[in-house]
Amino acid sequence: MIEIKHKAYLFDATRCIDCRACMVACSVENSIPMDKTRIWVAGVGVKGEFPNLDRATMVYHCMHCEHPDCMSACPVGAYHKRDDGPVIYNPDVCIGCRYCMNACPFGVPHFDYDKGIIAGAFIDKCTFCPQRVDNGLEPACVATCPTDALEYGEREDMIKAAHARIAAHPERYIDHVYGEFENGGTSYLILSHVPFSELGLPAIPEKPVNEVSEKVMEMTIPFAIGWGAVLTAITAGVAIYDKKKESQKPAELDEKVEAPK
Amino acid sequence: MTNTISRRDFLKLGGAATAMLAVGQMLPPMVAKAARETGQINAAGDGFISSMCEMCVWRCGLVAKIKDGRVVKLEGNPEHPHSRGNLCPRGQSGLMNTYDPDRVLTPLIRVGKRGEGLFRKASWEEALDLVASKMMEIKQKYGPEAMVFSSTHNLSQPLFENLLYAFGSPNYGTQRSLCFNAMIVSNLMTYGMEEPARIYDDKLAYILLTGRNLMEAISTSETSDLSHAIDRGAKVVYLDPRFTKTAAKASEWLPIKPGTDLAFHLALLNVIIAENLYNQTFVTNSTVGFDQLAKEVSKYTPDWAAQQTGIPAETISRIAHEFAAAAPHALAHNGWRTSNFINSFHTERAIAILNALVGNWNVTMTDAAGEESGTLGSPTQPPFPRVSALRLDGVPWKYPVVPLKIGVFQEMRDNIVKGDPYQAHGWFISRQNPIMSIPDRAKTLEAFAKMDFIVTIDIILNDTAWFSDVVLPEASYLERYDPLVPIGNRIFIRQPVIEPQGEAKSALWIYKQLGERLGLGDFFQYKDEEDYLRQQLAPLGFSLEEIKAKGFVETAEPAHASEAAEPNWNTPSGKVELYSDTLAKVGFPGVPTWLEPPQPAEGQYYLLTGKVAQSTQFGTQNNQLLHKYSDEPRLWMNAKSASENGLADGDWVEVTSEVGKVHSLLNVTQAIRPDCVYLTPGYGHLSKGLKTAYGIGVSDSALHVTYTDPISGGQALSQTFVSVKKA
Amino acid sequence: MKLNLTVHPRFRIGILPMILLALMGIAFVIAMIRYTYGIGPITDLSNSYPWGFWISFDLFTGVAISSGGFLMAGTVYILRIKEFQPLLRPSVLTAFLGYIMVAVALLVDLGHPERIWYMMIHMNGTSVLLEIGICVMSYLTVLAIEFAPVVFEGIKWQKFAHLIHKFIMPFVILGVVLSTLHQSSLGSLLLIQPTKLHPLWWTPFLPIMFFTSAITIGLGMIILESSLSSRYFQRGLEVHLLEKLAKVIPIVLAVYAFLKFGELAWAGELGYLFTSGVMSVLFWAEILIGVVTPFILFSIKKVRQSANGLLTGAVILLLGMILNRFNVSWFAVKHPDPLFYLPSFMSNVHYFPTLPEVLVSVGIFSAGIMAFGLVAKYLPVFENEEHSHETVVTPTPAIGD
Ligand SMILES: Nc1nc2c(c(=O)[nH]1)N[C@H]1C(S)=C(S)[C@@H](COP(=O)(O)OP(=O)(O)OC[C@H]3O[C@@H](n4cnc5c(=O)[nH]c(N)nc54)[C@H](O)[C@@H]3O)O[C@H]1N2
Ligand SMILES: Nc1nc2c(c(=O)[nH]1)N[C@H]1C(S)=C(S)[C@@H](COP(=O)(O)OP(=O)(O)OC[C@H]3O[C@@H](n4cnc5c(=O)[nH]c(N)nc54)[C@H](O)[C@@H]3O)O[C@H]1N2
Ligand code: SF4
Ligand code: SF4
Ligand code: SF4
Ligand code: SF4
Ligand code: SF4
Ligand SMILES: [Mo]
Repeated sequence: MIEIKHKAYLFDATRCIDCRACMVACSVENSIPMDKTRIWVAGVGVKGEFPNLDRATMVYHCMHCEHPDCMSACPVGAYHKRDDGPVIYNPDVCIGCRYCMNACPFGVPHFDYDKGIIAGAFIDKCTFCPQRVDNGLEPACVATCPTDALEYGEREDMIKAAHARIAAHPERYIDHVYGEFENGGTSYLILSHVPFSELGLPAIPEKPVNEVSEKVMEMTIPFAIGWGAVLTAITAGVAIYDKKKESQKPAELDEKVEAPK
Repeated sequence: MTNTISRRDFLKLGGAATAMLAVGQMLPPMVAKAARETGQINAAGDGFISSMCEMCVWRCGLVAKIKDGRVVKLEGNPEHPHSRGNLCPRGQSGLMNTYDPDRVLTPLIRVGKRGEGLFRKASWEEALDLVASKMMEIKQKYGPEAMVFSSTHNLSQPLFENLLYAFGSPNYGTQRSLCFNAMIVSNLMTYGMEEPARIYDDKLAYILLTGRNLMEAISTSETSDLSHAIDRGAKVVYLDPRFTKTAAKASEWLPIKPGTDLAFHLALLNVIIAENLYNQTFVTNSTVGFDQLAKEVSKYTPDWAAQQTGIPAETISRIAHEFAAAAPHALAHNGWRTSNFINSFHTERAIAILNALVGNWNVTMTDAAGEESGTLGSPTQPPFPRVSALRLDGVPWKYPVVPLKIGVFQEMRDNIVKGDPYQAHGWFISRQNPIMSIPDRAKTLEAFAKMDFIVTIDIILNDTAWFSDVVLPEASYLERYDPLVPIGNRIFIRQPVIEPQGEAKSALWIYKQLGERLGLGDFFQYKDEEDYLRQQLAPLGFSLEEIKAKGFVETAEPAHASEAAEPNWNTPSGKVELYSDTLAKVGFPGVPTWLEPPQPAEGQYYLLTGKVAQSTQFGTQNNQLLHKYSDEPRLWMNAKSASENGLADGDWVEVTSEVGKVHSLLNVTQAIRPDCVYLTPGYGHLSKGLKTAYGIGVSDSALHVTYTDPISGGQALSQTFVSVKKA
Repeated sequence: MKLNLTVHPRFRIGILPMILLALMGIAFVIAMIRYTYGIGPITDLSNSYPWGFWISFDLFTGVAISSGGFLMAGTVYILRIKEFQPLLRPSVLTAFLGYIMVAVALLVDLGHPERIWYMMIHMNGTSVLLEIGICVMSYLTVLAIEFAPVVFEGIKWQKFAHLIHKFIMPFVILGVVLSTLHQSSLGSLLLIQPTKLHPLWWTPFLPIMFFTSAITIGLGMIILESSLSSRYFQRGLEVHLLEKLAKVIPIVLAVYAFLKFGELAWAGELGYLFTSGVMSVLFWAEILIGVVTPFILFSIKKVRQSANGLLTGAVILLLGMILNRFNVSWFAVKHPDPLFYLPSFMSNVHYFPTLPEVLVSVGIFSAGIMAFGLVAKYLPVFENEEHSHETVVTPTPAIGD
């Protein structure tokens, strides 16, 4: 069997110049309507007080989680995670419940609030450009980045590269690769010179967000069967007990026990 | 919280119909015939074609993805040294310039009043005949000099120049005096070349950027080079009154007081000379005028400069030491749009000299290969007629060291208004938007009003076209051929990746048609665009098909002298001129000298301008993709100054200069000196033919006062002072 | 009981039905606009706030207040506590209508309502929402079956009524199982938001919290709906029965409070009780109104034995518990705001329901009330009113016959 290597992006906030070439590239590559986007600038922008200033920006899109919460949440299984990393949405089965949006801790999927039934309101989010990566190209956003703030490769290599960069310039980076473990790991890895919260990234535990919910779901069917059995037993028990009791008493109400009229 | 840039919803383009459109879904398929013939696209109309970006003058190599006969995506060409596989946001969005619903696709002839925007469609025959007859009329009535020609650097410029020189006019307006005259002229005076090339190698350790905002005013490969140098640990010191995106990446940002970069650099020279930090061998062997220089800069101590610049003396002194210590792996960037103050020429001279003193030559900078290369062929043509009339822009009679091809555009505009030394009557404009790019827009409109006839070649109804009598639609850069571009030992091609839309034609075609109608056909001896390119390739023995298929051809020898060769300092002394006799002879100081820049009065602010990564000059704001990802243009003001004035973020303010007044939304920010305000250039368009851009932002050109650096002819774009109050 | 075919004059000219009809009409028009132009134009929902008032009110509150049905079905059929028989049918009807309202509201909220049935063919086993969807759909069927005898009696198809009675028990058990599942799963729905839901509410025991509170809500609803219908239909109130129910409430509330605080203590999150600003206030409001006050009221015999006391207690309990549902599904949920400073499609990180949004819910609710009135009017929902309420007329459970 061929082992499929797991791909990831590495974003280095110290390199990003907020030029937005990546965003334009994504819009063009994926024919995104003019009032929508799959990728956007986050971060506090300029911070500090003149003249002691700094700037924190990052480009934000789907993290392509290792344990995607969107996928876990979707009732109709409109999401799937490919073996090589991408988390893909399938509009053909989506019922538009928007539970995936609630589930995604990063606020990634977005919805066509401006479309009615006929136009068809769907979810959209970054796809990792499978049409490109399957043909040996980098995702459109990565390919155009003039400063290599966005890079693409094997997840393992990206993690190694990220740690190597921190080791080479410890004064420049926060000693953490966001996404290495967050939410059980993501395929979008981030290096930063400012606290990650200033890039607009939520504090996400290492345990996948969907862990508890999936565990509870695993217990559902056994619980249902068990609970059903218990209820049946109770019903039977009560009925037998009742009958016993009634047979001991003069059956006063017995003629009325049939359904009314 | 951020306060530099406002939140705003994405553009809701007009009605529902346009809001749904995505790139490449808007026009019927157009098959690039030529590309299909050479097999670059298959029968279904799909394929990849190499060409060149023209969203700015950097001209990166691109590969266009064609689907069903339409451009659907542009990629950076990895084979091209300017793109190396990347494109900047403007390059990425280039196809939206081509597919702009506001494209002009037929020749237009004005029917209403000028500026009213009423045009009728015309055939090329009619439009060209009209233009030629008007030009001939002006020539006959007032002489050829009454026709002014202006164009911003582009690949068909040689043919544009053919037209103007053959026509016999001396009046040539280029964007350069609004852009980099100070840099060009100072380099010419110091090194005898316009712009030495910069080398960002692995050893580059120290970079001094004087207002060169490379992270926003992007040149893809150089932006990338700078970024990678920073990654490797090079130290970057950046001077700018604004905390730009470059400032954010720099190791050290010095929010220098506008106009005092000269004092800063003079002090660096002072320290380096006083403390013997310069490269003696290089100075002795390769320069002239060290003593004069040393004498002049001895006055400019760090303490003195600290007073001028607001930068502590120790910092200046430290940077001088650091720079000299890092040399020759140090680079003082000579900037690009260096037209900030009337002393900018001296600033640029000081930068050029700084590099020379520490011996950076051939390490971080070298002889540049120009785009014009002698190795390419060209159609034969007769010599140009002799022109005796004076140039309206005062070159060289008023600006003796400014090269003719560069000129002083704003002076030309002023003299058109004055009618001095003679009155101009016609204006031929190509690929330029002078109404927006020259300072004092009202005055430019006045100059337009003096004209009997104005013709503009553009791809959209930009402001200049809007005020023209005839608009000729050029095919966009994805729809046409242009003359070839040699870079190093490669020659690159721009070729149509789709057929021109509507009636649009290449400049090569338009100039030839006009030339023929003006009786100047001998200067345009090519059948068509392909023939022109074939003639260019002939001496090299390459076929057009070859270069089309690959996007470039490689010659055995670099078109230019190799590194090892003797530097080609084309100065009178043949050396690097720390002291320039040429300058002295025409009455200018031979060494850089302090020249006090004017300062805003109490309650006024320096009005700064500067590029943003999502637009180019005055021509891309109508690009819907760029618009989508642009910040709303607002007047930047420091939070402290705003509160002093009782102004808050999001307020409407009235901004008033000597020549104009605009109403803008205010962006209260920390990212600018308290004595400065800033506007993004390129907004506040006058043309209602720009449906996406019209009505957005305000024009800083409407505020800019015209001041010209007397030596280089550069317009002082930061030398406008404004007052700001609540509107 | 005979089917009364004469239309009661109160329904013809009644001002209430007119208002209800008008509200339904408005909601219908808004819904049509929504189907034509999308959810955006009529709501404040956004990419930051994908769920809002409809979910908090129609789904979370709607399902919770329908829990009386399974409680009474369980009590009467399974535990055979026959004296509660008179409360059974109204409760089942409330539940049935309640769930229909939930379904209708969801059809307005869903992006693709026409695909709702995809849940049955594209099942994703890890999705709590799937479980809820399937449970609700199945339970609606069960409720229909449980309520069918009333309809058949109404139209005098006694045979069918009998037939259903014969096989009712499996459905009753199924109904209780389904209800247990989805009442608790509504809580599980929020389990996937550990980073968004405030820790005062997020706990792995959310399903248990939800189930426990649903019991109190169900009991409260039975009291409320009996009280109101007794007033509206001018029939006798089964105070002695309601008192018995009311007696249970403090016990369940105690368990609920124990779970809630116990969990917070166990998770070491007691600190949040006082340090979370608005969230602390909301939490305490919910506890004081929904737990403490009704606990005290229903512990007092006099309150339990008075019609007004019962009604007051139930209303307070329900308000508090509904606040809980709003808290967990809306007020205490913080969606990520990635500090956008670019023109952003995610421009709305605040949410406040628009008037049309509320009106849709109001319209659906009105339809529910209207339907209840009509059904109660024409079908034998309140049995044997002519009899003294001592009389228990009950169908025989299938098992044990
Ligand atoms: N995205 C984008 N890139 C471009 C272009 C574009 O339009 N858009 N245009 C291209 C062209 S033609 C050019 S010329 C280059 C220009 O490239 P740059 O020379 O980098 O040009 P600007 O952004 O015009 O100006 C740079 C900075 O100068 C600062 N400044 C103003 N006054 C002073 C001063 O007195 N001292 C100092 N130290 N700084 C000052 C401004 O705040 C501004 O940030 O960019 C090229 N690249
Ligand atoms: N306030 C202010 N003024 C400035 C500057 C500033 O930063 N602020 N910058 C200065 C600088 S650095 C420069 S270089 C100048 C630039 O000044 P200009 O050259 O006057 O301005 P551009 O916007 O580059 O003009 C390009 C025009 O060409 C058109 N065009 C685009 N593509 C094509 C094509 O393929 N064919 C034809 N025929 N036309 C085409 C565009 O629509 C646009 O109208 O402005 C200078 N003026
Ligand atoms: S293209 Fe690269 S540098 Fe530019 S905004 Fe995107 S990630 Fe940042
Ligand atoms: S970031 Fe959100 S949308 Fe993307 S994979 Fe993770 S959970 Fe899904
Ligand atoms: S909106 Fe669509 S994709 Fe998202 S959870 Fe619902 S059905 Fe799945
Ligand atoms: S990977 Fe593709 S879809 Fe995702 S943001 Fe980048 S360009 Fe867009
Ligand atoms: S720098 Fe950008 S706009 Fe200029 S040529 Fe390169 S890609 Fe095009
Ligand atoms: Mo320029």
